[in-house]
Amino acid sequence: MKEKAVVSDINRSMYDFRYSDEDAFKLEQGLTPEIVAQISKEKNDPEWMADFRQKSLEIYNRMEMPNWGPSIQGLDMDHILTYVRPKDNKMQNDWNDVPTDIKDTFEKLGIPQAERESLAGVGAQYDSELVYHNVKKEVAEQGVIYSDVESALWGPYGDMIREHFMKLITPNDHKFAALHGAVWSGGSFVYVPAGVKVEIPLQSYFRLNAAGAGQFEHTLIIVEEGADLHFIEGCSAPKYNVANLHAGAVELFVGKNAKLRYSTIENWSKNMYNLNTKRAKVEEGGKIEWISGSFGSHVSYLYPMSVLNGKGARSEFSGVTFAGAGQNLDTGCKVLHNAPETSSYVNTRSISKGGGISTFRSSVVMTRNAEGSKASVSCASLMLDDISRSDTIPAMDIRTPNADVGHEAKIGRISDETVFYLMSRGMSEEDARALIVSGFADNVGKELPLEYAVEMNNLIRLEMKGAIS
Amino acid sequence: MENMNMILNQIPSPTWNWLHMNETQVDNVAVGSQGRILSDIPGGVSVKEENKAGLNDKTALGEDMDRLIVSSGCKVLSIRREKEASDSGEPVRLTFNYEADKAAANAVEIYVEEGAELTVIMNFESTRDAAATAAVQTRYHVAKDARLTLVQVEKLGDKFTFLNDIGGEVDELGNFTLTQLVLSGKNTYQGAYNNLTGKKASLQTDIGYMVLSDQVLDMNYVAYHTGKKTKCVMNADGVLRGNAKKVFRGTIDFRRGCAGAKGDELENVLLMDDDVINQTIPVILCDEEDVEGNHGASIGKLDESLMFYLSSRGMDESEIYEMMARARIDAVTAKIADAQTREEIAQYLGDAIEE
Repeated sequence: MKEKAVVSDINRSMYDFRYSDEDAFKLEQGLTPEIVAQISKEKNDPEWMADFRQKSLEIYNRMEMPNWGPSIQGLDMDHILTYVRPKDNKMQNDWNDVPTDIKDTFEKLGIPQAERESLAGVGAQYDSELVYHNVKKEVAEQGVIYSDVESALWGPYGDMIREHFMKLITPNDHKFAALHGAVWSGGSFVYVPAGVKVEIPLQSYFRLNAAGAGQFEHTLIIVEEGADLHFIEGCSAPKYNVANLHAGAVELFVGKNAKLRYSTIENWSKNMYNLNTKRAKVEEGGKIEWISGSFGSHVSYLYPMSVLNGKGARSEFSGVTFAGAGQNLDTGCKVLHNAPETSSYVNTRSISKGGGISTFRSSVVMTRNAEGSKASVSCASLMLDDISRSDTIPAMDIRTPNADVGHEAKIGRISDETVFYLMSRGMSEEDARALIVSGFADNVGKELPLEYAVEMNNLIRLEMKGAIS
Repeated sequence: MENMNMILNQIPSPTWNWLHMNETQVDNVAVGSQGRILSDIPGGVSVKEENKAGLNDKTALGEDMDRLIVSSGCKVLSIRREKEASDSGEPVRLTFNYEADKAAANAVEIYVEEGAELTVIMNFESTRDAAATAAVQTRYHVAKDARLTLVQVEKLGDKFTFLNDIGGEVDELGNFTLTQLVLSGKNTYQGAYNNLTGKKASLQTDIGYMVLSDQVLDMNYVAYHTGKKTKCVMNADGVLRGNAKKVFRGTIDFRRGCAGAKGDELENVLLMDDDVINQTIPVILCDEEDVEGNHGASIGKLDESLMFYLSSRGMDESEIYEMMARARIDAVTAKIADAQTREEIAQYLGDAIEE
């Protein structure tokens, strides 16, 4: 009879701490034109943005819930707080000026330390508002703009934002894109001028503290011709007994021969509905690299999309998803090849344990314009016990003959022989399995900066061992 | 004549609606009357016409196909290989020879009793200019340690709409081998829903297709593993030309309890013209830890090293593509044990090239 390592649930106390939100300013729960108008007022929206929000709400009300994917019946929009502003909120560019509770939150998450040691700039969002934003002087001197979206709307880049805002992800895309259009708040605007290479990453961290709240941050990044940027996104929340919602949007514009790497370690609490939308448009010779680790949330719908719109544009997607008890994580990616000689490479790993459900879902679409294009999709799934579930649902729609599209998928469990080999070298079965799973997820780990790879491996070890050292 | 609007080939686990791959809607499908079948029945096989279906297994095309068959009022052709009957080794040959302008429907049930073996060869034929609709629904039951080989060859007219639906169950140690060749027809909707319930039950599916000009081939195959140590292999090899459209849905569904099961799925598609549309969705659903599932797909042009090799042997690009297109069909044809069927396919393809 096969013996199995006992894997208990993760101890998330590192992320589960919380502070009272009694003093925070909150709009009433639900979603009405009046609430959306109130958000516009709180945000000091330009007129076009206020109109855009109301039109998005109309689209939201018209659209149906998805009839595929995990159930989101537990999400009741009538009981979601769409706007929560922390007490005494005013965006700061010095950590010392950030309110104490919020500062403590980000200290515990290691954000200021990371900023000092390895980042070119940091944005920190707490519930619906940015509380901190800063960029290193030498990076700013290169002309790099890294700010919140709201204030940038009124500055010299206002027209640029208007030209790009929700043009890649439109409110008509799906119901939660429309919701985002109506109630978005916070997020980051990044502009990297032509030819500028930002040597160390920028990071935004999103913390959702209020129970029953939604977070709807908007990230807009424009990397001009020949420029280069690595952007890191992190997120977490304490666990509550009520549903929280994350419906952010990430729009990335990668110029000719430019390169953007977008890394995410998603670690929302397990009461979170993570219905996030991410999309990149890549021009001639440009490249988008998605590095995606999905560990948190109760339910996830997350499929970063690459629109390869210029000749020779490239996309790489490396993802790992770890679904534990109570989680149904539907993740993957989409690639649209819409220009000649474009190429995409997708490499993902899914791990399921403790009754968790992980689904890899993808689409590769090649239009008639994509002559000479190549795509390769590889997904592997690991089942760690007999109560979990793992599905792979890859779709390919190819409309050009001069294409080369390859797809492979594997699903299985940890080989007994490998565990036996490691145990014969002195490891416990539990450690052996944890090591195998870490190695299995190495496609993402090796692409992350060291500090984040360590965090990812810690998360895997926590999931496997159920203890925090 | 009554017509139906139908939803066909629903995938077991749907994905984004904008891809238009979850299912296919077909409107104004003519509900035919009983189609004529020419049969050649060897010894040891009993054949009866029944008024009512004896099997109710789920099929690939779905419930609308059931309604179409019921609406047609056609009888059920029940074919049975009995356990004790002597086996001549000869196949059952069924030729569905469709009239040029008359819709037809047929229901077939195939029973292979414990330890027995049976091969059934179905040829679907019409004249080249036939413009009708035909629907065939085949259900099967493969008993313990039994073996059913079903060969289907579509040689229908260029304006023909064809619905070819299969569903059945394989018991312990049983095997179902399905070989299908789609060589013509305007719109073809086909698939097989295979329930592998018995321990070590197995399924082998090989599909070859050549979809030309404005033809449509829409497919849905499911291997539903519930029995322990069940195995499935699903292969599809094909060629698209002109402005042909093809959808391939292939699902390996490992249900909880099918410990030790294995599933492999592979599709190779050669795209030969600018206006073809190829849609492929190979799915693995896994509710059991102790399984192995693999799927792969290769879509597009020929491998560069192969092209280089053949070019260095003096062939030009169009010759290489023609040869490789034919090779894909020949590879599937070669899996058919029956020499007569292989010859008929070669003859049909030869005639088609001459035309």
